[in-house]
Amino acid sequence: MTMLRAEKLSVVLRGRAVVDDAELTLQPGVLTALVGPNGAGKTTLMRALAGLIPASSGRIVLKDRPLHDFTPRERARSIAYLPQGNVFHWPLDVAAVVALGRHPHADPFAPLSGTDRAAVAHALAATQTEELAERPVTTLSGGERARVALARVLATEADILFADEPTAALDPRHQLVVMELLRGIARRGGAVLAIVHDLPLAARFSDRVVVMQRGRIVADAPPREALDDARLAAVFGIVAARVEAGGEVPVPLPLRPV
Amino acid sequence: MDRLPDLRLNLALAALLAVLALASLTVGPAPLSPRAILAALAGSDDVAGLIVREIRLPRTLLALAIGAALGLSGAALQGLVRNPLAEPALFGAPQAAAAAASFVIAFGFFPATSFAVPLAAIGGALVSIGGLVAIAGRRASLTVTLLAGLALASFAGAATALALNLAPNPFAAIEVAFWLLGSLQDRSAEHVTLAVPFLAAGCALMAANARAFRALTLGEDAAASLGVNIDAVRLRVVIGVALGVGAAVAVAGAIGFVGLVAPHLVRRAVGSDPARVLLPGALAGATLLLAADIAVRLVPGPVEIKLGVVTALIGVPFFLVMIFAERRALEGAPS
Repeated sequence: MTMLRAEKLSVVLRGRAVVDDAELTLQPGVLTALVGPNGAGKTTLMRALAGLIPASSGRIVLKDRPLHDFTPRERARSIAYLPQGNVFHWPLDVAAVVALGRHPHADPFAPLSGTDRAAVAHALAATQTEELAERPVTTLSGGERARVALARVLATEADILFADEPTAALDPRHQLVVMELLRGIARRGGAVLAIVHDLPLAARFSDRVVVMQRGRIVADAPPREALDDARLAAVFGIVAARVEAGGEVPVPLPLRPV
Repeated sequence: MDRLPDLRLNLALAALLAVLALASLTVGPAPLSPRAILAALAGSDDVAGLIVREIRLPRTLLALAIGAALGLSGAALQGLVRNPLAEPALFGAPQAAAAAASFVIAFGFFPATSFAVPLAAIGGALVSIGGLVAIAGRRASLTVTLLAGLALASFAGAATALALNLAPNPFAAIEVAFWLLGSLQDRSAEHVTLAVPFLAAGCALMAANARAFRALTLGEDAAASLGVNIDAVRLRVVIGVALGVGAAVAVAGAIGFVGLVAPHLVRRAVGSDPARVLLPGALAGATLLLAADIAVRLVPGPVEIKLGVVTALIGVPFFLVMIFAERRALEGAPS
């Protein structure tokens, strides 16, 4: 079954096709990495797929229905979106932040239901943030914030998860923690699309890699094929070494610019 | 998520308000006992009844309603732009409302108690807040918003000066100048009926965004992805603040900084939650304005100090202290 499908999707911003004729399918159980140089259109593609900006042409189908037929609330129950930067504007405590993930489910005129509270507790447990639950979110370290942000999207219990650079600005350990969490979500049946700048991470953790260049999708394949030497040179302008990383496929390690 | 401390906070503020309201009915040139006041409220037929019902009660009710609307306006704007330093007066709203109302009053198109005055004031506030939100755009930093607010406030000030400049007679000019200072002196039941419907409608519109404000903690994109209609929230806040500030200005003149101070005083008690701060923010606004209005009546002197002067004298230093406290966050903020 297909969760989300983009057909001939284009997004024109200020007269420029930032996303140009993109075809993409997201399947349950698959972690897809979206990679590409700065300005390739990755964030714009993701925001369009999440229904946050309108497509200029083409269409997006969510579970056999056009995305624009969904009410914002219905859409929000199916698609969780984690923007860049893990920004929190108010020092809410962590439990309140994670409970925001229940926004599309919760009754606006009642306190959280048992189901809502169970989802929040589960999300806190899955991200090992229970002990932070009472802390103001603005007092946390970058790694802790990243886990809390993930707990928030987990609490929605959506089938589709979009994450825009979830590993940016994290220490190596937290990069691994976040990627493992994303892979875990996919293994439990979620369709996960993550923008990742770190090619070794993308190659190690994802089932599929989608490569974007100047608004177009130029590759959509398993990591080894999508990130072969010719493509790394043509798209990223780099030469990479291949490194064995724990018995998995060799991982490209950027060596030098072409 | 605990609701019990919120209930306690709100009840405490309501109790404080009740005490202040009684005090407000007691303060005045004619010394009246609390018992006489209660009798007057019950409808006694003597001079005391007249004084309390015709003079002190409207003043008290207006301080309560306007204070609550201004406190809520601040909390709502802060929720929308996600910054504790947002305040209608910094965005030029009361200034624009005052400018529009000045023209109506100075040129005597309508008597000062006609609905034309609040409608003009609401229109002025709507243009300024709507213009501000449009200029500042979706992802504006507080810096851009404040600069746009400064420009709008300056323009509104110039427009008010023009109204004074062109006033057909000195009495009209003096009337406008006094009213601009902001005061609840000599307000009647007519002013209450003039302002309260607009204030109530504005408060309802602003309060309807509680959950959206909480979701906006994560930023506009994340809030939209959670199902929040950001454009609708923005429209409700703009119209709500315009109704609240415009109606307040129409009957009491320009009273600033209640929206900055009131939410700040209660924010920590509600865990900085932009949704839970709305009700106590409104109650604190009512408390502050009522206390200030009692204070101006207690200060001895030949003329009463104007309420708007007092709130600015307290509010601006408060604002400076807040800037000082927030300056690291402000310097680090993306522009």
